[in-house]
Amino acid sequence: MLTLWTRVVQAAFIFLTTESIVPPEKPKNLNCIVNEEKNMMCQWDPGRKTYLETNYTLKSEWATEKFADCKAQRDTPNSCTLDYSPVYFVNIEVWVEAENALGNITSDHINFDPIDKVKPNPPHNLSVRSSEELSSILKLAWINPSIKSFLRLKYSIQYRTKDASTWSQIPPEDTSSTRSSFTVQDLKPFTEYVFRIRCMKEDGKGFWSDWSEEASGITYEARPSKEPSFWYKIDPSHTHGYRPVKLIWKTLPPFEANGKILDYEVTLTRWKSHFQNYRVNDTKLTVNLTNDRYIATLTARNLVGRSDASVLTIPACDFRAAHPVMDLKAFPKDNKLWVEWTAPTESVNKYILEWCVLSDKSPCIPDWQQEDGTVHLTYLRGNLMESKCYLITVTPVYADGPGSPESVRAYLKQAAPSKGPTVRTKKVGKNEAVLEWDQLPVDVQNGFIRNYTILYKTAFGNETAVNVDSSHTEYTLSSLTSDTLYMVRMAAYTDEGGMYGPDFTFTTPKFAQGEIEAIVVPVCLAFLLTTLLGVLFCFNKRDLIKKHIWPNVPDPSKSHIAQWSPHTPLRHNFNSKDQMYSDGNFTDVSVVEIEVNDKKPFPEDLKSMDLFKKEKNSTEGHSSGIGGSSCMSSSRPSISSGDENESGQNTLSTVQYSTVVHSGYRHQVPPVQVFSRSESTQPLLDSEERPEDLQLVDNVDSGDGVLPRQQYFKQNCSQHETSQDISHFERPKQVSSVNEEDFVRLKQQQISDHISQSCGSEQMKMFQEISTAAVFGPGTEGEVERFETVEMEAAIDEGMPKSYLPQTVRQGGYVPQ
Amino acid sequence: MDLRAGDSWGLLACLCTVLWHLPAVPALNRTGDPGPGPSIQKTYDLTRYLEHQLRSLAGTYLNYLGPPFNEPDFNPPRLGAETLPRATVDPDVWRSLNDKLRLTQNYEAYSHLLCYLRGLNRQAATAELRRSLAHFCTSLQGLLGSIAGVMAALGYPLPQPLPGTEPTWAPGPAHSNFLQKMDDFWLLKELQTWLWRSAKDFNRLKKKMQPSAAAVTLRLEAHGF
Repeated sequence: MLTLWTRVVQAAFIFLTTESIVPPEKPKNLNCIVNEEKNMMCQWDPGRKTYLETNYTLKSEWATEKFADCKAQRDTPNSCTLDYSPVYFVNIEVWVEAENALGNITSDHINFDPIDKVKPNPPHNLSVRSSEELSSILKLAWINPSIKSFLRLKYSIQYRTKDASTWSQIPPEDTSSTRSSFTVQDLKPFTEYVFRIRCMKEDGKGFWSDWSEEASGITYEARPSKEPSFWYKIDPSHTHGYRPVKLIWKTLPPFEANGKILDYEVTLTRWKSHFQNYRVNDTKLTVNLTNDRYIATLTARNLVGRSDASVLTIPACDFRAAHPVMDLKAFPKDNKLWVEWTAPTESVNKYILEWCVLSDKSPCIPDWQQEDGTVHLTYLRGNLMESKCYLITVTPVYADGPGSPESVRAYLKQAAPSKGPTVRTKKVGKNEAVLEWDQLPVDVQNGFIRNYTILYKTAFGNETAVNVDSSHTEYTLSSLTSDTLYMVRMAAYTDEGGMYGPDFTFTTPKFAQGEIEAIVVPVCLAFLLTTLLGVLFCFNKRDLIKKHIWPNVPDPSKSHIAQWSPHTPLRHNFNSKDQMYSDGNFTDVSVVEIEVNDKKPFPEDLKSMDLFKKEKNSTEGHSSGIGGSSCMSSSRPSISSGDENESGQNTLSTVQYSTVVHSGYRHQVPPVQVFSRSESTQPLLDSEERPEDLQLVDNVDSGDGVLPRQQYFKQNCSQHETSQDISHFERPKQVSSVNEEDFVRLKQQQISDHISQSCGSEQMKMFQEISTAAVFGPGTEGEVERFETVEMEAAIDEGMPKSYLPQTVRQGGYVPQ
Repeated sequence: MDLRAGDSWGLLACLCTVLWHLPAVPALNRTGDPGPGPSIQKTYDLTRYLEHQLRSLAGTYLNYLGPPFNEPDFNPPRLGAETLPRATVDPDVWRSLNDKLRLTQNYEAYSHLLCYLRGLNRQAATAELRRSLAHFCTSLQGLLGSIAGVMAALGYPLPQPLPGTEPTWAPGPAHSNFLQKMDDFWLLKELQTWLWRSAKDFNRLKKKMQPSAAAVTLRLEAHGF
């Protein structure tokens, strides 16, 4: 049974300790505060929660007397307030008794003089009074709490300007004794201050009173402490030697105005003694000044006095500003736009900072501020907006006038552009496109454009991004696919972000520009060249071609019978036509000169005939007119028509396609433009198609052929018609006195001589052609060589009858006539 | 004492030594037994506190009594208040009082006045006035205890308690209402005078206590020699 009871008690103990239903803990940290003339409140720490109804009783007593108990409220078991004020200067003993069903306990006793725990009532009726003598002081007065009559107090006084939020403290040592007034010094003039005061027992025992009600007062005015900022603007449109100058200044801030500014006084001094005074209520004054130098001074006036003078030199009209500030920079920091510069080497009186919002929509309306000459870093004191471009100008002001202004652009805070750039194509090629865009207007930039990003893609392809420096306004997209639709968009980026502009599409062409032309033009050129070469070939090989195409039609009028007639019609009136044929036009012509032995009735006839011959020779290289065949015609029969010695030879070789007869036959009136063509289908003589062959034969046979060749070379070299004509006259004399063999030798020598004298490629060509005739060389002579030549010729003209030629040669150069 | 020239250096050295040890002198740094000084000071402050209390209490109570008692220049004859302890005394006599007698007179006066005041408390009409009177009585009780403490500190025995706790001067049925008010008026007036006198008394005692402390210091200096 005893064991059972022990178990129960143990269980009850464990239950009580673990489940917190416990007797009260000893209250700790008992402390009291005596509210003056009201009550005494004591607080303590009741300790752990008891979970039982626990009564806390605050007990107090003197050595001789007990006071009424103070029972703590149930909801505030840690404090109790005695509803009477204890007697000061008599120590009181206080303690707390805690009691519940499980027991009671008493805190430690504290013994104190209630005056050492007193919290006085705050001073009241605080008043503030300014002094007219001193603008930097305010006099405070208050009524102390009643405890002051038996207690020494100290004070705490705080003050602030009306707009400020933080309080300044009067040094405590200045207010450490009982008083009912205090003079606050070192205040700013014409400024409203707010004061409050509290007090406590002088020795620091006890508690500070609550703060008194706040009281405010305004310090008295003082003379403006600083001169106003002063600047000017000159209207550029000045007339008649006057210039409108707008003087502007800033109102002084209250801490510098030190009172209500009544007016401003402006003095303009030209020369030393010429004064003009203006009294202005506004902050600007427009005056018409001459082009001379002026000194402007400005003072601000309030009730007490004047500010110092702000002096500004307005230079003469021809003044040249110089010495700007250097390294001007502007940057945002702490939500302000700071401007920094390096001072010029010259002494600067002050700096003027002007700024305005750059905009395409509105004009630049500058605001300004003035800085001392020692300043080189300041911020713009104005209502600046974010995302706006500010143009900031700094002008140093020297003693003799303003210096050169320097400008810089800055943003208080950048943002992404409000619009992106509109991109378009400048040129679209097969594989590339030149994009171009306009710089963004400053109103939408919202910051410094640092770069552009171009995004382009095909309809189904991936997007490609290209970054472009902000200085560019065009960009070439390369490696594009031809005949493809591209979509391009472009973003402009500031430091704070970017904005895309509208999409733009373009299609690359199938062919590059000029590609078609590059194909067509060479083809055309090749065609033309081919055609030209063909024509040239035809021209060069006309005889060969003629032989194949052209029928060799004998001219009935140039038949042997006709040739043999004693009188062949003389050709006249070729003088005019003769001019048409210059010697240079001869390209590949062998000329047959026929010695005229018969007697001409008149020397003129001879001459005219020579001319005619020449004309005919030249005609040989060109068109002989009517038949439309320029390269096939030969006029030789007509040339030789008047020569009896040649007639038989000519009959063999002449083929007349058409002939234009300009003069009558033997003094008869010639028929008008007789074009005679044989209708005969008689086979043509072989020799007529080969004038070269004939020439050779002629030269050998007659011995006349050598000289004309010489003559021909001479003509080519000299290009002189007169000499040509002279040679025609000389030829008969030279030829008449030599035989055939001599002619051959002479011919060879002269040919070689002329080769050495030849003066151009044309002569070389000629030589080559001639050398065909002279192929036998200088060391061969006689019939064998001639025969070989003829054989060679005959070999070329296969199938043609050549029977008469060997005969001619064998007969020793005599034409069988 | 014959001081030679060489002794002046020794005197200076002694002075320096004494000055060096001054912070260690208990009487100066007051870390030891405070003696009766603080209690005298407290009693002095308490008299001033009571004086402050009485000023407001008297104003309230005289207003309660009504005219002519609340008039500033009302100075009625001291008719039935002969039994009240008289605070006024010839200055020479007051100056000649020793500390014990001075303290005893204060103790006896306030014991009497407290008895009378308690009677006044019972007659007070308003609760606020009664509360003020009760608080003043408690404070006066505190003053009595404080004076007793000073006397005990100075080694003076407390005067014998008066025969009977009830005041001999009590409002009786013989008194008319006006005469009773006259007695109340004189009671407050005498209280005020006593408080003034007590302030002077304790201020004098306070001043007397401070020279004694200085004398202790001087004795210490002499001992140093």
